[in-house]
Amino acid sequence: METQSKAGDWRAFKRVLMPPVKDLHKLEVYEEHEGYAALREVLTTDKWDPTSVTNEMKKSGLKGRGGAGFPTGLKWSFMPPVDPDIPRFLCCNGDESEPGTFKDRQLMEYNPHLVLEGMLIAAYAMSIKTAFLYIRGEFADWITLMEGELEKAYAKGYVGQDIMGSGFSCEIVIHKGAGAYICGEESSLMESLEGKRAYPRIKPPFPAQKGVWGYPTTINNVESLACAPLIIRNGGDWYAGIGAEAHPGPVLYGISGHVNRPGVYEYPTGMLITDLIYEVAGGMRGGKKLKALIPGGSSTPILRADMIEGLTMDANSLRDAGSMMGTSGMLIMDEDTDIVAWLRRITHFYHHESCGQCTPCREGTGWLENIVTRIDEGEGNFRDLDLLLDLCTQMEGRTVCALADAAAWPVRYTIDRFRDEFEARCRPSLIPSGGVLENA
Amino acid sequence: MPTITIDNQNYEFEGRPRLLQFCLDNGVDLPHFCYHPSMSAPANCRQCLVDVGMPQMNRETRESNLDDDGNPIIQFMPKLQTSCSMDMTDGMVVKTHCSSDAVVRAQKDTLEFLLINHPLDCPICDQAGHCPLQNQAYKHGPESSRFEFQKVHKPKHVDLGPNVVLDAERCINCTRCIRFTSEISKSNQLTIIERGVKNYPMTPPGIEFDDPYSMNVIDICPVGALTSKEHRFGARVWEMSKTASISTVGSKGSNCYYWVKDNQIMKVTPRTNMSVNEYWLSDEERLDCDRFNKNRPTGPTVENAEVSWEMAYKAASDCLTGIDGSRALFVGSAYATVEDNYLLTKLATAVGAPTPVYLAHVEEGHADGWLKTDDRAPNSQGCERLGLHAADVKELKARITGGEVDVLYVLEDDIVAAGVCTAKQLKKVKVILHHYHTTNQTLPAADVALPAAMAVETVGSFVNGDLRAQRLRPAKSIAGVNRTLSMEIGKCRADAHGTPFDKWYNESNLVNCQPGWVSIPEIASRLGHEMQYKGPRNIMAELAESDSGFTGATYEAMGEFGVSLEPIGVTA
Repeated sequence: METQSKAGDWRAFKRVLMPPVKDLHKLEVYEEHEGYAALREVLTTDKWDPTSVTNEMKKSGLKGRGGAGFPTGLKWSFMPPVDPDIPRFLCCNGDESEPGTFKDRQLMEYNPHLVLEGMLIAAYAMSIKTAFLYIRGEFADWITLMEGELEKAYAKGYVGQDIMGSGFSCEIVIHKGAGAYICGEESSLMESLEGKRAYPRIKPPFPAQKGVWGYPTTINNVESLACAPLIIRNGGDWYAGIGAEAHPGPVLYGISGHVNRPGVYEYPTGMLITDLIYEVAGGMRGGKKLKALIPGGSSTPILRADMIEGLTMDANSLRDAGSMMGTSGMLIMDEDTDIVAWLRRITHFYHHESCGQCTPCREGTGWLENIVTRIDEGEGNFRDLDLLLDLCTQMEGRTVCALADAAAWPVRYTIDRFRDEFEARCRPSLIPSGGVLENA
Repeated sequence: MPTITIDNQNYEFEGRPRLLQFCLDNGVDLPHFCYHPSMSAPANCRQCLVDVGMPQMNRETRESNLDDDGNPIIQFMPKLQTSCSMDMTDGMVVKTHCSSDAVVRAQKDTLEFLLINHPLDCPICDQAGHCPLQNQAYKHGPESSRFEFQKVHKPKHVDLGPNVVLDAERCINCTRCIRFTSEISKSNQLTIIERGVKNYPMTPPGIEFDDPYSMNVIDICPVGALTSKEHRFGARVWEMSKTASISTVGSKGSNCYYWVKDNQIMKVTPRTNMSVNEYWLSDEERLDCDRFNKNRPTGPTVENAEVSWEMAYKAASDCLTGIDGSRALFVGSAYATVEDNYLLTKLATAVGAPTPVYLAHVEEGHADGWLKTDDRAPNSQGCERLGLHAADVKELKARITGGEVDVLYVLEDDIVAAGVCTAKQLKKVKVILHHYHTTNQTLPAADVALPAAMAVETVGSFVNGDLRAQRLRPAKSIAGVNRTLSMEIGKCRADAHGTPFDKWYNESNLVNCQPGWVSIPEIASRLGHEMQYKGPRNIMAELAESDSGFTGATYEAMGEFGVSLEPIGVTA
């Protein structure tokens, strides 16, 4: 079983995103541990120019850590050529709100300057003079912390005008969200940043063409940007050599649920899920059996215990198994978990967080919750299950952003993979529903 | 020229039109709610989904790949696309609900979603009958709903401002009203509040929706969520007939529809004319109903005693017989049509009086650069073109009070209210008055008072402040028989005549009045000056022929949207 892991000798892996250094969040400690060295190298040596930084990012094979897994270097290269009259922006997306995901928060707490340094390198690579760090409103303590650290970085001249005498200037602005899940979607994050209601925008145009206030913008996840200094320091090839070939790099696994040691763990991609549960997270709580797990935040399709044998945490492997890497926030459920109650909670979340812009999501998320609640309370009928699946079809891919898909997938895959449990809660329905669509 | 294929039919197009607009323009009836041609397309209702494909390109040769029969291979997008936000490109292939089951299903699904939290109180809803949601649900929606839960409850009958009332439960969150205030009227007085399924439009805290154009949101609302405080519960849409005409509260001449029930003007809604008012009307234009219905005279009077029209005409002609023309004063009107003022000029000439003047009704500072104008009368420009000039009020006053006037002839105006003189000062003057209202302050001094048809009862034309000649059409009938008016009403109300609320069945609220092009020739003929016209159409045809200020302004040329006139020396 060990041989199937794509993470190599993961037990010997030395952490790089969150190295085991005491007080690393302090600027002086960070400086002692090669802090801002990558930025200095990029800004002050001839080795680097914006194109070569972007190319190094491409070479590293880094896939965005925010959930969609889009190659970060490629995203940077989508920015249009520099025009001195047109401002450009970078947004660092710290609106981490997906249930089961809590890695960015840890990163900002334990290694805030790595995030800031990553933002500055990204800003240099795309010739950006203003970068925004958007942090979700509920992270009040982390906002205070990041603001304090940003002040210190400003004081040291790492951020602001003429950084390290290189002539490159970049301001970083921390923006506090108001606590809406939808702001994690990049286009509604931009709307929110502009002070508007966070309704996602239609794409195209993409942010690189028309972003914040209509200007070219790149939006990256906190963890993705934190990888940039590491890639500059150690080279893209080093990064590409870590973990699974097609989806390389160190990754923060946020493991929660019925395990003995839940938490955020940094390991290479391509880890066997069984290794993560039984060794990294200390095994199932109370020695119970595993029932199901969500690999990357609540919207990624659920996996049954019998589906994870030999499965590794990387995009290809999970796709083949019928799920997604997402944010690698793993939710582990033991044999006692009531899957219907869990789904009820999840549908409630998406109902609560739907922004209400497009019809299928606004109306569908509430309807899903209504039906799942009814089933959970023992009032459901068999036909409700088919209605649920039908509603999922009516929602998926029909909206401006992906929230409708994120809301529909847990329902679709949970019913698909645990149908017997749902049926056990439902009454057989002898009376056909009066309102079933004829081609439903 | 680039081409596009919609439902297996090829169309040519220019520029980069939006797919939905192009479909609507070409008779493909795509259902939609949030899209409005004058505003941005947020694509939030998801009703206009279509299947869009592009020819598959060979990356190296940059040419389309061909199948065995030599036709380009079409690659359809993985998801259905909203046609409102889709720019058309050459070679695009589109399947709508006419040719794709997936699109039929998607449209049906969206309507099912829209209706689950909609109160379905159509029987008591003002929008019923001309409701896009109702119409499209019948056309494209499911036959029933599978929703078995309590609907979401939201605030009902919320006063947003002086003219608009909100029923949030009916709202489908298309955001047209919000975009209207942010993109068109720029007052930014509406926004969406709450989140998700509880969303509804509202004013920001402490702000009243008192935008002078606020009532436009009532028309663009695709459901009955926004209703007019003035008109709500007034009449069902199928009880009214609508007539395409123009608004007369200012010199903009905004194109509008007058809605009539039982010969009463119930409401005024905009009529699209891209050269004048586009899709919009100001609130003052919309609320211009009551004056057509209230305080109307019951018949002609002589010395304040009601008489027959015959006797009134006789009395008027008696007043004008054997007078010293230079001591007669004719006052035309910027409220009256070009035709009536023209006939008045002819009458003045016939009795040897100087050219009539008219009273300007200008309210400084009223204009807003859009639809509201300083000039509060609809036809000042038409008067100027006929050679009538705005009267100097002081000079007029001096002439009347100085005893220089024996006969005063006032066409559809009120010189006492305009401050020219008092009714007492007119005691020694013979006054002939065409009036609209019993509240006309010149009326007590009138020797002969002839009730005049208002803009909604007559046929005629106005020239607006931007030199556009436009037609008035009769929206409601007057008492008595007039073949020209009957014919015009029949022509203008092709949609609705014959309802129990129409004049064909219903004779309530008919006003005993006459258009100027009837009464002035009657008086003239009694003076021995025949004015033989078969109707205002012929008067305008004569003017278009003989007067360089009206070249080309025939009824045929004016049609529905009017014609632009050349500037003339006097007014330029």
